[in-house]
Amino acid sequence: MIRVRDLHFAYDGREVLREIDLDMESEVVALVGQNGSGKTTLAKHLNGLLKPTKGSVEVDGLDTREHTVAELSRKVGYVFQNPEHMFFEETVFREVAFGPRNLGLDEDEVEKRVKWALRSVNLEGYEDRTPYSLSGGEKQRLAIACILAMKPRYLVLDEPTTGLDAKNGESVIRTIERLHSEGHGILLITHDMELVLRLAERVVLLHDGRKVFDGPVEEFFSLDLHDYGLDKPEVLLLGEVTGVGFVRSVSELVKALAGDGE
Amino acid sequence: MYPFYPQRDSLLSSLDPRVKIIGTALGIASIMLYNDPKVLLPLFLLFVLVGKYLGGISLREQLALMKPLLPVVIITIVVWPVIYKPRVMGLLFGITFAVRLLTFALLTFLLLMTTSQRELILGFVKLGIPYEFGLTISIALRYIPTLYMLSRNIMDAQKSRGWEIEKGSFITRARKMTAVLIPLLVASLKTAHELSIALESRGFGASKKRTFLYDIRMRRRDYIAMGIIVILFALSLYARYGLGIGHVELRY
Ligand SMILES: Nc1ncnc2c1ncn2[C@@H]1O[C@H](COP(=O)(O)OP(=O)(O)OP(=O)(O)O)[C@@H](O)[C@H]1O
Ligand SMILES: [Mg+2]
Repeated sequence: MIRVRDLHFAYDGREVLREIDLDMESEVVALVGQNGSGKTTLAKHLNGLLKPTKGSVEVDGLDTREHTVAELSRKVGYVFQNPEHMFFEETVFREVAFGPRNLGLDEDEVEKRVKWALRSVNLEGYEDRTPYSLSGGEKQRLAIACILAMKPRYLVLDEPTTGLDAKNGESVIRTIERLHSEGHGILLITHDMELVLRLAERVVLLHDGRKVFDGPVEEFFSLDLHDYGLDKPEVLLLGEVTGVGFVRSVSELVKALAGDGE
Repeated sequence: MYPFYPQRDSLLSSLDPRVKIIGTALGIASIMLYNDPKVLLPLFLLFVLVGKYLGGISLREQLALMKPLLPVVIITIVVWPVIYKPRVMGLLFGITFAVRLLTFALLTFLLLMTTSQRELILGFVKLGIPYEFGLTISIALRYIPTLYMLSRNIMDAQKSRGWEIEKGSFITRARKMTAVLIPLLVASLKTAHELSIALESRGFGASKKRTFLYDIRMRRRDYIAMGIIVILFALSLYARYGLGIGHVELRY
Protein backbone atom coordinates (compact mmCIF):
# COMPACT_ATOMS: atom_id res chain seq x y z
CA MET A 1 0.00 0.00 0.00
CA ILE A 2 1.11 3.54 -0.71
CA ARG A 3 0.53 5.90 2.18
CA VAL A 4 1.02 9.63 1.84
CA ARG A 5 0.59 11.58 5.04
CA ASP A 6 0.39 15.35 5.41
CA LEU A 7 2.74 15.82 2.48
CA HIS A 8 4.11 19.30 1.87
CA PHE A 9 6.60 20.14 -0.83
CA ALA A 10 8.35 23.34 -1.87
CA TYR A 11 10.58 24.07 -4.87
CA ASP A 12 13.21 26.59 -3.72
CA GLY A 13 11.00 27.86 -0.91
CA ARG A 14 7.81 28.07 -2.98
CA GLU A 15 5.27 25.60 -1.62
CA VAL A 16 3.48 23.74 -4.43
CA LEU A 17 1.96 20.84 -2.45
CA ARG A 18 0.12 21.19 0.85
CA GLU A 19 -1.43 18.76 3.33
CA ILE A 20 -1.77 15.88 0.92
CA ASP A 21 -3.07 12.58 2.30
CA LEU A 22 -3.41 9.66 -0.08
CA ASP A 23 -3.78 5.91 0.16
CA MET A 24 -3.48 3.65 -2.79
CA GLU A 25 -3.84 -0.07 -3.41
CA SER A 26 -4.32 -2.17 -6.53
CA GLU A 27 -6.72 0.17 -8.24
CA VAL A 28 -6.74 2.65 -11.09
CA VAL A 29 -6.60 6.13 -9.63
CA ALA A 30 -6.81 9.11 -11.95
CA LEU A 31 -4.85 12.12 -10.77
CA VAL A 32 -6.34 15.22 -12.35
CA GLY A 33 -6.10 19.00 -12.05
CA GLN A 34 -5.19 22.09 -14.01
CA ASN A 35 -1.72 22.75 -15.44
CA GLY A 36 0.60 23.54 -12.58
CA SER A 37 -1.69 22.13 -9.90
CA GLY A 38 1.07 19.77 -8.74
CA LYS A 39 0.20 16.40 -10.28
CA THR A 40 3.68 15.58 -11.54
CA THR A 41 5.25 16.89 -8.35
CA LEU A 42 3.04 14.61 -6.25
CA ALA A 43 3.69 11.60 -8.49
CA LYS A 44 7.47 12.12 -8.27
CA HIS A 45 7.18 11.59 -4.53
CA LEU A 46 5.90 8.05 -4.93
CA ASN A 47 9.21 6.64 -6.17
CA GLY A 48 11.39 8.99 -4.19
CA LEU A 49 12.49 11.31 -7.02
CA LEU A 50 11.32 14.08 -4.71
CA LYS A 51 11.34 13.86 -0.94
CA PRO A 52 8.70 15.63 1.14
CA THR A 53 9.70 18.87 2.84
CA LYS A 54 7.17 17.94 5.51
CA GLY A 55 5.08 14.82 6.08
CA SER A 56 5.84 11.35 4.77
CA VAL A 57 5.44 8.91 1.90
CA GLU A 58 5.50 5.16 2.52
CA VAL A 59 5.48 2.45 -0.12
CA ASP A 60 4.70 -1.03 1.22
CA GLY A 61 6.17 0.04 4.51
CA LEU A 62 9.29 1.70 3.05
CA ASP A 63 9.74 5.36 3.93
CA THR A 64 10.87 7.09 0.72
CA ARG A 65 13.24 9.33 2.66
CA GLU A 66 15.26 6.31 3.76
CA HIS A 67 15.54 4.64 0.35
CA THR A 68 17.08 5.56 -2.99
CA VAL A 69 15.08 5.92 -6.16
CA ALA A 70 16.79 2.77 -7.47
CA GLU A 71 15.58 0.75 -4.48
CA LEU A 72 12.07 2.16 -4.74
CA SER A 73 11.96 1.45 -8.48
CA ARG A 74 11.26 -2.22 -7.64
CA LYS A 75 8.02 -1.10 -6.04
CA VAL A 76 6.92 1.96 -7.98
CA GLY A 77 7.46 2.25 -11.71
CA TYR A 78 7.30 5.75 -13.14
CA VAL A 79 6.62 6.13 -16.86
CA PHE A 80 7.63 9.66 -17.83
CA GLN A 81 5.53 11.85 -20.02
CA ASN A 82 7.97 11.93 -22.92
CA PRO A 83 9.19 8.40 -23.72
CA GLU A 84 12.07 9.75 -25.80
CA HIS A 85 13.61 11.11 -22.64
CA MET A 86 14.62 7.61 -21.67
CA PHE A 87 15.68 5.88 -24.90
CA PHE A 88 19.41 5.57 -25.45
CA GLU A 89 20.13 1.97 -26.46
CA GLU A 90 20.49 0.65 -30.00
CA THR A 91 17.81 -1.99 -29.75
CA VAL A 92 14.44 -2.40 -28.10
CA PHE A 93 15.73 -5.48 -26.31
CA ARG A 94 18.63 -3.66 -24.70
CA GLU A 95 16.40 -0.73 -23.86
CA VAL A 96 13.99 -2.91 -21.90
CA ALA A 97 16.85 -4.87 -20.35
CA PHE A 98 18.43 -1.72 -18.92
CA GLY A 99 16.14 -1.56 -15.87
CA PRO A 100 16.34 -5.24 -14.86
CA ARG A 101 20.14 -5.15 -15.34
CA ASN A 102 20.34 -2.17 -13.02
CA LEU A 103 18.52 -4.28 -10.44
CA GLY A 104 21.43 -6.73 -10.66
CA LEU A 105 19.43 -9.65 -12.06
CA ASP A 106 21.20 -12.46 -13.92
CA GLU A 107 21.00 -12.59 -17.72
CA ASP A 108 18.47 -15.46 -17.83
CA GLU A 109 16.07 -13.57 -15.64
CA VAL A 110 16.69 -10.34 -17.58
CA GLU A 111 15.84 -12.06 -20.84
CA LYS A 112 12.71 -13.62 -19.38
CA ARG A 113 11.53 -10.28 -18.11
CA VAL A 114 12.20 -8.47 -21.38
CA LYS A 115 10.18 -11.08 -23.27
CA TRP A 116 7.36 -10.88 -20.77
CA ALA A 117 7.31 -7.07 -20.69
CA LEU A 118 7.30 -6.76 -24.48
CA ARG A 119 4.48 -9.27 -24.68
CA SER A 120 2.49 -7.35 -22.08
CA VAL A 121 2.53 -4.23 -24.24
CA ASN A 122 2.09 -6.08 -27.53
CA LEU A 123 5.57 -5.40 -28.87
CA GLU A 124 6.72 -8.97 -29.43
CA GLY A 125 9.04 -9.23 -32.40
CA TYR A 126 10.35 -5.70 -31.96
CA GLU A 127 13.46 -6.81 -30.05
CA ASP A 128 15.95 -5.77 -32.73
CA ARG A 129 14.33 -2.52 -33.80
CA THR A 130 15.78 0.86 -32.82
CA PRO A 131 13.64 2.58 -30.15
CA TYR A 132 13.69 5.89 -32.01
CA SER A 133 12.34 4.28 -35.18
CA LEU A 134 9.05 3.29 -33.53
CA SER A 135 5.77 5.17 -33.94
CA GLY A 136 4.38 7.39 -31.18
CA GLY A 137 2.13 4.74 -29.72
CA GLU A 138 4.82 2.08 -29.92
CA LYS A 139 7.28 4.37 -28.17
CA GLN A 140 4.80 4.95 -25.38
CA ARG A 141 4.23 1.21 -25.00
CA LEU A 142 7.97 0.57 -25.10
CA ALA A 143 8.39 3.11 -22.30
CA ILE A 144 5.81 1.19 -20.28
CA ALA A 145 7.61 -2.10 -21.06
CA CYS A 146 10.93 -0.64 -19.84
CA ILE A 147 9.33 0.07 -16.48
CA LEU A 148 7.24 -3.14 -16.36
CA ALA A 149 10.36 -5.24 -16.78
CA MET A 150 11.36 -4.12 -13.30
CA LYS A 151 8.12 -5.71 -12.03
CA PRO A 152 6.89 -2.86 -9.88
CA ARG A 153 3.65 -3.34 -8.00
CA TYR A 154 2.55 0.24 -8.64
CA LEU A 155 2.75 2.18 -11.86
CA VAL A 156 2.66 5.92 -12.37
CA LEU A 157 1.72 6.95 -15.90
CA ASP A 158 2.14 10.65 -16.68
CA GLU A 159 -0.19 11.58 -19.55
CA PRO A 160 0.33 8.30 -21.41
CA THR A 161 -2.09 9.02 -24.25
CA THR A 162 -1.30 12.68 -24.91
CA GLY A 163 -0.35 13.26 -28.54
CA LEU A 164 -1.37 9.80 -29.71
CA ASP A 165 -3.93 9.16 -32.43
CA ALA A 166 -7.08 7.15 -31.68
CA LYS A 167 -5.63 3.79 -32.65
CA ASN A 168 -2.38 4.18 -30.73
CA GLY A 169 -4.19 5.70 -27.78
CA GLU A 170 -6.48 2.70 -27.76
CA SER A 171 -3.60 0.27 -27.61
CA VAL A 172 -2.10 2.13 -24.66
CA ILE A 173 -5.49 2.09 -22.94
CA ARG A 174 -5.77 -1.64 -23.46
CA THR A 175 -2.33 -2.11 -22.02
CA ILE A 176 -3.37 -0.18 -18.92
CA GLU A 177 -6.54 -2.26 -18.55
CA ARG A 178 -4.54 -5.46 -18.78
CA LEU A 179 -2.02 -4.30 -16.19
CA HIS A 180 -4.82 -3.40 -13.84
CA SER A 181 -6.45 -6.80 -14.22
CA GLU A 182 -3.08 -8.36 -13.36
CA GLY A 183 -3.16 -6.63 -10.00
CA HIS A 184 -1.06 -3.51 -10.51
CA GLY A 185 -2.00 -0.31 -8.72
CA ILE A 186 -2.03 2.45 -11.32
CA LEU A 187 -1.83 6.18 -10.85
CA LEU A 188 -2.90 7.78 -14.08
CA ILE A 189 -2.11 11.46 -14.60
CA THR A 190 -4.25 12.92 -17.34
CA HIS A 191 -6.20 15.88 -18.65
CA ASP A 192 -8.44 13.63 -20.71
CA MET A 193 -11.78 13.28 -18.93
CA GLU A 194 -12.99 10.62 -21.39
CA LEU A 195 -10.01 8.55 -20.36
CA VAL A 196 -10.78 9.10 -16.69
CA LEU A 197 -14.34 8.02 -17.30
CA ARG A 198 -13.22 4.94 -19.11
CA LEU A 199 -10.41 3.68 -16.91
CA ALA A 200 -10.53 5.12 -13.44
CA GLU A 201 -12.21 3.65 -10.41
CA ARG A 202 -11.21 6.55 -8.24
CA VAL A 203 -10.27 10.16 -8.93
CA VAL A 204 -7.98 12.45 -7.00
CA LEU A 205 -8.35 16.11 -7.88
CA LEU A 206 -5.61 18.61 -7.13
CA HIS A 207 -6.15 22.33 -7.11
CA ASP A 208 -3.38 24.78 -6.25
CA GLY A 209 -1.34 22.07 -4.58
CA ARG A 210 -4.17 20.82 -2.38
CA LYS A 211 -6.24 17.69 -2.68
CA VAL A 212 -9.79 18.97 -3.11
CA PHE A 213 -11.48 15.72 -4.03
CA ASP A 214 -10.80 12.01 -3.56
CA GLY A 215 -13.54 9.52 -4.34
CA PRO A 216 -15.29 7.28 -6.88
CA VAL A 217 -15.50 8.46 -10.52
CA GLU A 218 -19.23 8.71 -10.44
CA GLU A 219 -19.11 11.14 -7.55
CA PHE A 220 -16.25 13.04 -9.18
CA PHE A 221 -18.29 13.76 -12.28
CA SER A 222 -21.14 15.11 -10.20
CA LEU A 223 -18.83 17.94 -9.03
CA ASP A 224 -18.96 21.31 -10.72
CA LEU A 225 -15.83 20.69 -12.78
CA HIS A 226 -15.81 24.14 -14.36
CA ASP A 227 -14.53 25.53 -11.07
CA TYR A 228 -11.38 23.49 -11.62
CA GLY A 229 -10.95 24.26 -15.29
CA LEU A 230 -12.13 20.81 -16.34
CA ASP A 231 -14.88 19.70 -18.69
CA LYS A 232 -17.41 16.94 -18.34
CA PRO A 233 -17.34 14.34 -21.14
CA GLU A 234 -20.27 14.83 -23.48
CA VAL A 235 -21.46 11.28 -23.07
CA LEU A 236 -22.21 12.04 -19.42
CA LEU A 237 -24.29 15.05 -20.41
CA LEU A 238 -26.11 12.83 -22.87
CA GLY A 239 -26.69 10.29 -20.16
CA GLU A 240 -28.16 13.02 -17.98
CA VAL A 241 -30.53 14.51 -20.54
CA THR A 242 -31.74 11.11 -21.70
CA GLY A 243 -32.39 10.15 -18.10
CA VAL A 244 -30.09 7.14 -18.24
CA GLY A 245 -27.75 8.61 -15.65
CA PHE A 246 -24.09 7.69 -15.20
CA VAL A 247 -22.52 5.83 -18.12
CA ARG A 248 -18.90 5.17 -18.92
CA SER A 249 -19.08 5.14 -22.71
CA VAL A 250 -21.29 5.82 -25.69
CA SER A 251 -21.87 2.12 -26.25
CA GLU A 252 -23.06 1.76 -22.66
CA LEU A 253 -25.43 4.66 -23.26
CA VAL A 254 -26.72 3.18 -26.48
CA LYS A 255 -27.27 -0.17 -24.78
CA ALA A 256 -29.20 1.48 -21.96
CA LEU A 257 -31.34 3.45 -24.40
CA ALA A 258 -31.99 0.42 -26.58
CA GLY A 259 -32.99 -1.54 -23.50
CA ASP A 260 -35.47 1.18 -22.64
CA GLY A 261 -37.16 0.94 -26.00
CA GLU A 262 -37.94 -2.75 -25.73
CA MET B 1 15.30 27.91 -13.66
CA TYR B 2 17.38 30.93 -14.56
CA PRO B 3 15.28 34.05 -14.68
CA PHE B 4 17.01 35.78 -17.57
CA TYR B 5 16.54 39.49 -17.76
CA PRO B 6 13.76 40.05 -15.36
CA GLN B 7 12.89 43.73 -15.78
CA ARG B 8 14.62 45.50 -12.93
CA ASP B 9 15.76 48.96 -12.00
CA SER B 10 19.48 48.98 -11.62
CA LEU B 11 22.34 51.05 -12.90
CA LEU B 12 23.56 48.23 -15.11
CA SER B 13 20.20 47.61 -16.77
CA SER B 14 19.88 51.29 -17.63
CA LEU B 15 23.24 51.39 -19.46
CA ASP B 16 23.60 51.12 -23.22
CA PRO B 17 24.12 47.48 -24.27
CA ARG B 18 27.32 48.41 -26.13
CA VAL B 19 28.89 49.60 -22.90
CA LYS B 20 27.94 46.37 -21.19
CA ILE B 21 29.16 44.18 -24.04
CA ILE B 22 32.53 45.94 -24.12
CA GLY B 23 32.67 45.92 -20.33
CA THR B 24 32.04 42.17 -20.27
CA ALA B 25 34.66 41.55 -22.96
CA LEU B 26 37.28 43.62 -21.15
CA GLY B 27 36.35 41.98 -17.85
CA ILE B 28 36.98 38.58 -19.39
CA ALA B 29 40.22 39.83 -20.95
CA SER B 30 41.37 41.08 -17.54
CA ILE B 31 40.95 37.70 -15.88
CA MET B 32 43.03 36.17 -18.66
CA LEU B 33 45.89 38.53 -17.79
CA TYR B 34 46.44 37.01 -14.40
CA ASN B 35 47.12 33.50 -13.26
CA ASP B 36 47.66 34.19 -9.58
CA PRO B 37 44.68 33.19 -7.41
CA LYS B 38 45.68 36.02 -5.03
CA VAL B 39 44.57 38.47 -7.71
CA LEU B 40 41.89 36.39 -9.42
CA LEU B 41 39.89 35.71 -6.26
CA PRO B 42 39.54 39.39 -5.23
CA LEU B 43 38.69 40.20 -8.84
CA PHE B 44 35.97 37.56 -8.75
CA LEU B 45 34.59 38.99 -5.50
CA LEU B 46 34.70 42.45 -7.03
CA PHE B 47 32.49 41.29 -9.91
CA VAL B 48 30.12 39.65 -7.42
CA LEU B 49 29.77 43.00 -5.63
CA VAL B 50 29.28 44.81 -8.94
CA GLY B 51 26.46 42.40 -9.68
CA LYS B 52 24.91 42.92 -6.28
CA TYR B 53 25.16 46.69 -5.96
CA LEU B 54 25.20 47.97 -9.54
CA GLY B 55 23.20 45.14 -11.13
CA GLY B 56 20.69 44.61 -8.35
CA ILE B 57 21.22 40.85 -8.51
CA SER B 58 21.11 39.32 -5.04
CA LEU B 59 23.84 37.00 -3.81
CA ARG B 60 21.28 34.21 -3.68
CA GLU B 61 20.50 34.60 -7.38
CA GLN B 62 24.20 34.72 -8.25
CA LEU B 63 24.79 31.59 -6.23
CA ALA B 64 21.92 29.82 -7.98
CA LEU B 65 23.44 30.75 -11.32
CA MET B 66 26.80 29.27 -10.43
CA LYS B 67 25.55 26.14 -8.69
CA PRO B 68 25.37 24.02 -11.86
CA LEU B 69 29.09 24.74 -12.42
CA LEU B 70 30.08 23.31 -9.06
CA PRO B 71 30.88 19.80 -10.33
CA VAL B 72 33.18 21.20 -13.05
CA VAL B 73 34.91 23.43 -10.51
CA ILE B 74 35.51 20.55 -8.12
CA ILE B 75 36.73 18.25 -10.87
CA THR B 76 39.15 20.93 -12.11
CA ILE B 77 40.61 21.55 -8.69
CA VAL B 78 40.97 17.84 -8.01
CA VAL B 79 42.20 16.68 -11.39
CA TRP B 80 44.91 19.24 -12.18
CA PRO B 81 47.17 18.36 -9.24
CA VAL B 82 46.90 14.69 -10.20
CA ILE B 83 47.92 15.04 -13.83
CA TYR B 84 50.30 17.98 -13.51
CA LYS B 85 53.66 17.83 -11.74
CA PRO B 86 54.85 19.37 -9.48
CA ARG B 87 51.67 19.11 -7.48
CA VAL B 88 51.76 22.65 -6.12
CA MET B 89 51.77 23.96 -9.67
CA GLY B 90 48.96 21.62 -10.60
CA LEU B 91 46.91 22.88 -7.69
CA LEU B 92 47.64 26.46 -8.71
CA PHE B 93 46.56 25.67 -12.26
CA GLY B 94 43.39 24.02 -11.03
CA ILE B 95 42.38 26.92 -8.84
CA THR B 96 43.27 29.49 -11.50
CA PHE B 97 41.23 27.67 -14.07
CA ALA B 98 38.27 27.22 -11.73
CA VAL B 99 38.21 30.88 -10.68
CA ARG B 100 38.52 32.01 -14.28
CA LEU B 101 35.67 29.77 -15.27
CA LEU B 102 33.45 31.08 -12.49
CA THR B 103 34.31 34.68 -13.30
CA PHE B 104 33.66 34.09 -16.97
CA ALA B 105 30.24 32.61 -16.17
CA LEU B 106 29.48 35.38 -13.71
CA LEU B 107 30.30 38.16 -16.17
CA THR B 108 28.26 36.57 -18.91
CA PHE B 109 25.35 36.16 -16.54
CA LEU B 110 25.60 39.76 -15.38
CA LEU B 111 25.36 40.87 -18.99
CA LEU B 112 22.35 38.66 -19.65
CA MET B 113 20.57 39.45 -16.43
CA THR B 114 20.75 43.18 -17.06
CA THR B 115 20.16 43.27 -20.82
CA SER B 116 17.10 42.22 -22.76
CA GLN B 117 17.59 39.98 -25.76
CA ARG B 118 16.50 42.78 -28.08
CA GLU B 119 19.04 45.24 -26.67
CA LEU B 120 21.75 42.62 -26.73
CA ILE B 121 21.31 41.88 -30.42
CA LEU B 122 21.04 45.55 -31.23
CA GLY B 123 24.22 46.19 -29.26
CA PHE B 124 26.12 43.53 -31.22
CA VAL B 125 24.89 44.90 -34.54
CA LYS B 126 25.81 48.49 -33.66
CA LEU B 127 29.27 47.29 -32.73
CA GLY B 128 29.61 45.99 -36.27
CA ILE B 129 29.14 42.34 -35.44
CA PRO B 130 26.80 40.48 -37.84
CA TYR B 131 23.19 40.14 -36.74
CA GLU B 132 23.36 36.36 -36.98
CA PHE B 133 26.12 36.31 -34.42
CA GLY B 134 24.14 38.25 -31.87
CA LEU B 135 21.09 36.13 -32.52
CA THR B 136 23.04 32.88 -32.27
CA ILE B 137 24.60 33.89 -28.98
CA SER B 138 21.37 35.02 -27.44
CA ILE B 139 19.47 31.95 -28.60
CA ALA B 140 22.20 29.66 -27.31
CA LEU B 141 22.15 31.37 -23.95
CA ARG B 142 18.41 31.42 -23.88
CA TYR B 143 18.47 27.62 -24.16
CA ILE B 144 20.88 26.96 -21.31
CA PRO B 145 18.14 26.92 -18.66
CA THR B 146 15.91 24.83 -20.92
CA LEU B 147 18.69 22.31 -21.43
CA TYR B 148 19.41 22.29 -17.73
CA MET B 149 15.78 21.45 -16.94
CA LEU B 150 15.75 18.89 -19.72
CA SER B 151 18.83 17.11 -18.42
CA ARG B 152 17.35 17.05 -14.92
CA ASN B 153 14.19 15.51 -16.31
CA ILE B 154 16.11 12.88 -18.29
CA MET B 155 18.15 12.00 -15.21
CA ASP B 156 14.94 11.55 -13.24
CA ALA B 157 13.58 9.28 -15.98
CA GLN B 158 16.72 7.12 -15.89
CA LYS B 159 16.84 7.04 -12.10
CA SER B 160 13.35 5.60 -12.23
CA ARG B 161 14.91 2.70 -14.16
CA GLY B 162 17.37 2.02 -11.40
CA TRP B 163 20.17 4.11 -12.91
CA GLU B 164 22.60 5.42 -10.32
CA ILE B 165 25.36 7.77 -11.33
CA GLU B 166 26.85 7.82 -7.85
CA LYS B 167 27.98 4.20 -8.07
CA GLY B 168 31.11 2.84 -9.68
CA SER B 169 34.53 3.98 -10.84
CA PHE B 170 35.21 7.03 -12.97
CA ILE B 171 35.09 4.96 -16.17
CA THR B 172 31.82 3.20 -15.32
CA ARG B 173 30.31 6.52 -14.42
CA ALA B 174 31.40 8.09 -17.68
CA ARG B 175 29.82 5.18 -19.52
CA LYS B 176 26.65 5.55 -17.49
CA MET B 177 26.39 9.15 -18.59
CA THR B 178 25.48 7.99 -22.10
CA ALA B 179 22.04 7.13 -20.69
CA VAL B 180 21.56 10.85 -20.17
CA LEU B 181 23.65 12.29 -22.99
CA ILE B 182 21.94 10.46 -25.83
CA PRO B 183 18.36 11.47 -25.00
CA LEU B 184 19.66 14.97 -24.31
CA LEU B 185 21.35 15.12 -27.69
CA VAL B 186 18.27 13.83 -29.50
CA ALA B 187 16.01 16.33 -27.75
CA SER B 188 18.41 19.23 -28.43
CA LEU B 189 18.71 18.38 -32.11
CA LYS B 190 14.95 18.27 -32.32
CA THR B 191 14.68 21.68 -30.68
CA ALA B 192 17.32 23.10 -33.01
CA HIS B 193 15.47 21.76 -36.00
CA GLU B 194 12.16 23.22 -34.83
CA LEU B 195 13.86 26.52 -34.12
CA SER B 196 15.29 26.73 -37.63
CA ILE B 197 11.84 26.13 -39.08
CA ALA B 198 10.39 28.80 -36.82
CA LEU B 199 13.06 31.28 -37.90
CA GLU B 200 12.63 30.57 -41.58
CA SER B 201 8.87 30.72 -41.46
CA ARG B 202 9.19 34.19 -40.03
CA GLY B 203 11.31 35.29 -42.96
CA PHE B 204 14.72 35.10 -41.30
CA GLY B 205 17.43 35.84 -43.85
CA ALA B 206 14.96 37.06 -46.46
CA SER B 207 16.57 40.47 -46.81
CA LYS B 208 20.22 41.38 -46.46
CA LYS B 209 19.69 44.77 -44.96
CA ARG B 210 17.85 44.73 -41.68
CA THR B 211 15.97 47.61 -40.20
CA PHE B 212 15.19 47.93 -36.52
CA LEU B 213 12.05 49.01 -34.81
CA TYR B 214 13.92 50.23 -31.77
CA ASP B 215 17.09 52.23 -31.58
CA ILE B 216 19.68 52.75 -28.88
CA ARG B 217 21.60 55.92 -28.12
CA MET B 218 24.67 56.54 -26.00
CA ARG B 219 23.91 59.07 -23.27
CA ARG B 220 26.19 60.90 -20.92
CA ARG B 221 26.16 58.25 -18.24
CA ASP B 222 27.05 55.66 -20.90
CA TYR B 223 30.14 57.62 -21.92
CA ILE B 224 31.12 58.02 -18.28
CA ALA B 225 30.67 54.31 -17.63
CA MET B 226 32.66 53.48 -20.77
CA GLY B 227 35.43 55.81 -19.58
CA ILE B 228 35.56 54.12 -16.18
CA ILE B 229 35.67 50.66 -17.75
CA VAL B 230 38.53 51.62 -20.10
CA ILE B 231 40.50 53.23 -17.27
CA LEU B 232 40.08 50.17 -15.06
CA PHE B 233 41.22 47.90 -17.87
CA ALA B 234 44.22 50.12 -18.56
CA LEU B 235 45.08 49.95 -14.86
CA SER B 236 44.90 46.17 -14.87
CA LEU B 237 47.19 46.09 -17.92
CA TYR B 238 49.61 48.37 -16.12
CA ALA B 239 49.48 46.27 -12.95
CA ARG B 240 50.26 43.15 -14.92
CA TYR B 241 52.95 44.39 -17.35
CA GLY B 242 54.20 47.57 -15.68
CA LEU B 243 54.32 46.36 -12.10
CA GLY B 244 54.44 42.63 -12.79
CA ILE B 245 51.63 41.83 -10.35
CA GLY B 246 49.46 38.76 -10.53
CA HIS B 247 51.55 36.44 -12.62
CA VAL B 248 53.17 33.36 -11.18
CA GLU B 249 56.16 32.10 -13.16
CA LEU B 250 55.78 28.46 -14.10
CA ARG B 251 59.27 27.15 -13.56
CA TYR B 252 60.20 23.63 -12.65
N1 LIG C 1 11.72 21.80 -11.23
C1 LIG C 1 10.90 22.79 -10.80
N2 LIG C 1 11.42 23.88 -10.18
C2 LIG C 1 10.61 24.85 -9.71
N3 LIG C 1 9.28 24.85 -9.82
C3 LIG C 1 8.70 23.79 -10.42
C4 LIG C 1 9.48 22.71 -10.95
N4 LIG C 1 8.65 21.80 -11.49
C5 LIG C 1 7.40 22.29 -11.34
N5 LIG C 1 7.42 23.49 -10.69
C6 LIG C 1 6.25 24.29 -10.30
O1 LIG C 1 5.45 23.54 -9.40
C7 LIG C 1 4.08 23.69 -9.70
C8 LIG C 1 3.44 22.33 -9.95
O2 LIG C 1 4.00 21.80 -11.14
P1 LIG C 1 3.67 20.35 -11.69
O3 LIG C 1 4.58 20.10 -12.84
O4 LIG C 1 3.69 19.38 -10.58
O5 LIG C 1 2.17 20.57 -12.21
P2 LIG C 1 1.28 19.58 -13.08
O6 LIG C 1 -0.01 19.48 -12.37
O7 LIG C 1 2.00 18.33 -13.38
O8 LIG C 1 1.07 20.44 -14.40
P3 LIG C 1 0.88 19.95 -15.93
O9 LIG C 1 -0.57 19.58 -16.05
O10 LIG C 1 1.20 21.18 -16.70
O11 LIG C 1 1.81 18.83 -16.19
C9 LIG C 1 3.98 24.63 -10.88
O12 LIG C 1 3.68 25.91 -10.39
C10 LIG C 1 5.36 24.59 -11.49
O13 LIG C 1 5.67 25.85 -12.06
MG1 LIG D 1 2.77 17.40 -15.21
